[in-house]
Amino acid sequence: MKGDRSKAVTLWGFVIVALVMLSAPTLVVLGASFTAGNMITFPPEGLSLKWYAAIASATDLRDAFFRSVIVATICTAISIPTGTLAGIALAKYRVRFAAGVQIYLLLPFTVPLIGSGIGLMLIFGKWGLLGQLWPVGIACAVINLPFMIWAVTASAASLDPDLELAAANCGAPPLSTFLAVTVPAVTPGIITGALLMFILALNEFLVSLLLVDARIVTLPVQIYNSIRSIITPDLAAISVVFIAVAAIAIALLDWLVGLDIFLKSK
Amino acid sequence: MRPSRTSYPLSWRLMDAVEAIAAAVWPRSFSAAVPWLMLMPAVVLVGLLVLGLWDMADGSFRKLDTATFLPSDDYSLANYDRAFTEKLFFTVASRSLIGSLIVTVITLVFAFPYSYVMVRTRSTFLRKFLLIALFLPFFIGQVVRAYGWLIILGSQGMVNEALGFVGVAPIRLLYNYPAVLFGLVQYMLPFAVLMLAPALTAIPEEMESAAGSLGANWVRTFIHVVLPLAKPGFIGAGLVVMTLSLTDFAIPAILGGGSQDFIANAIYDQFFRTSDQGMGATLALLLVAVGSIMVGVVFALFGAGTLAMGRSK
Repeated sequence: MKGDRSKAVTLWGFVIVALVMLSAPTLVVLGASFTAGNMITFPPEGLSLKWYAAIASATDLRDAFFRSVIVATICTAISIPTGTLAGIALAKYRVRFAAGVQIYLLLPFTVPLIGSGIGLMLIFGKWGLLGQLWPVGIACAVINLPFMIWAVTASAASLDPDLELAAANCGAPPLSTFLAVTVPAVTPGIITGALLMFILALNEFLVSLLLVDARIVTLPVQIYNSIRSIITPDLAAISVVFIAVAAIAIALLDWLVGLDIFLKSK
Repeated sequence: MRPSRTSYPLSWRLMDAVEAIAAAVWPRSFSAAVPWLMLMPAVVLVGLLVLGLWDMADGSFRKLDTATFLPSDDYSLANYDRAFTEKLFFTVASRSLIGSLIVTVITLVFAFPYSYVMVRTRSTFLRKFLLIALFLPFFIGQVVRAYGWLIILGSQGMVNEALGFVGVAPIRLLYNYPAVLFGLVQYMLPFAVLMLAPALTAIPEEMESAAGSLGANWVRTFIHVVLPLAKPGFIGAGLVVMTLSLTDFAIPAILGGGSQDFIANAIYDQFFRTSDQGMGATLALLLVAVGSIMVGVVFALFGAGTLAMGRSK
């Protein structure tokens, strides 16, 4: 084709700028965490692991990290059954008022996070649930539920309905059909959705900020509170934990369902 | 003679029991309601959100009593009146709206080539590399990313240190409007690319070759073939970027340093600084309304694009 070269140069120009923009913060945080100095300087004052030793003994950071893990686990545990059932129902059945149901289930997505966060804060406050971790997990499940449903409907759409009829024809009762045919068919969607829910809840900042108090801060809130005062390398070291978890999640996603799933057209 | 049922494996008998219970609890005649039963947990979960919105609506009609610092018992429109007349709220709202428009345009300009190269490349290694480069920041979260930018752009940050070597005095790169917009573009880029990619995958490559063999150069092919066909992706991506950046809290708070508040920051301040719950609820509801109207208008005009859930028609 004519002008292939100028096309490649133009496209790659944008891609390289985008790559730098996407990767710069991650790389810098990684680099800063290994500094030997007491401040983050450029170029770094030698290499050391002392900040990792520092965070290993810092109980507040460690506690905040475990609280984040608990929140993410609760969120994932709630959203897997909820999102899977809703996704299959929307993808497979001709539901009456389907458009209305869709709009309703998209609410967590269309309502801005600050709105959802404050609404849930008011509700949980009224019921006297604030100051505990599990409502934060529920809140994360509510605000991210559309991601789970999207993931499941995307893979349920590729399920041939004849397979379920065939199972029923062979004498399988409805529940067995559901567990042996329908669920395995949407498993890639469930895995993708579950990983997304876990990661999003682990990183959830704004809703955590609104729902936690000083005794139960989650890690993103803890980091936010600290960078407002002074930027020390121990924060870089604890941020590397997030980077590591993200890397593990990506590796899992790629291994279990393949990252290419996100490129597929519906 | 029938063989003894005990020769069945345990799991079969267990499953039979579960089926029997299910059939008793939910007889076949109810089967029309099965999808509703399956939707129920999700409906309840989202119901929490609706209850919260209802509470906010109630609060928004209660003016803060300056004598007791408690919300008043009677309803009035005083908060809405303030929201539309006070200059501070107008400044914040226009800053957020203009900002989110600029962010959307810039993000799409970068997201399209990225998505295109990722979808069209023949090298599986390159595709995987681009996907990982996309997912890593997406999975790391806003606070850590903003922290990275603080290290890079801070007054003693990497950029200023590097400039110092060549004898340039430190420049204030943070805590201004461009810094916030830059941070938002970086935050939104993965969302935009991931929403565009399926739309680009759906365009057959032969279409482009056909345009090329009819004499179109690549620029014209893009303008007349690829971009129009990718419209659903652009709608989805633009909508997501626009609403998420309009309502973002962390980036304006961290990279704006309190001087570049967006609407979400103003709402937070109403709740936690001025303790005026009614005013905060009013602003939050107005933001919900603006966001929903934007989504509604785009859906009504162009359809749900890549955002539709459920049955593909």
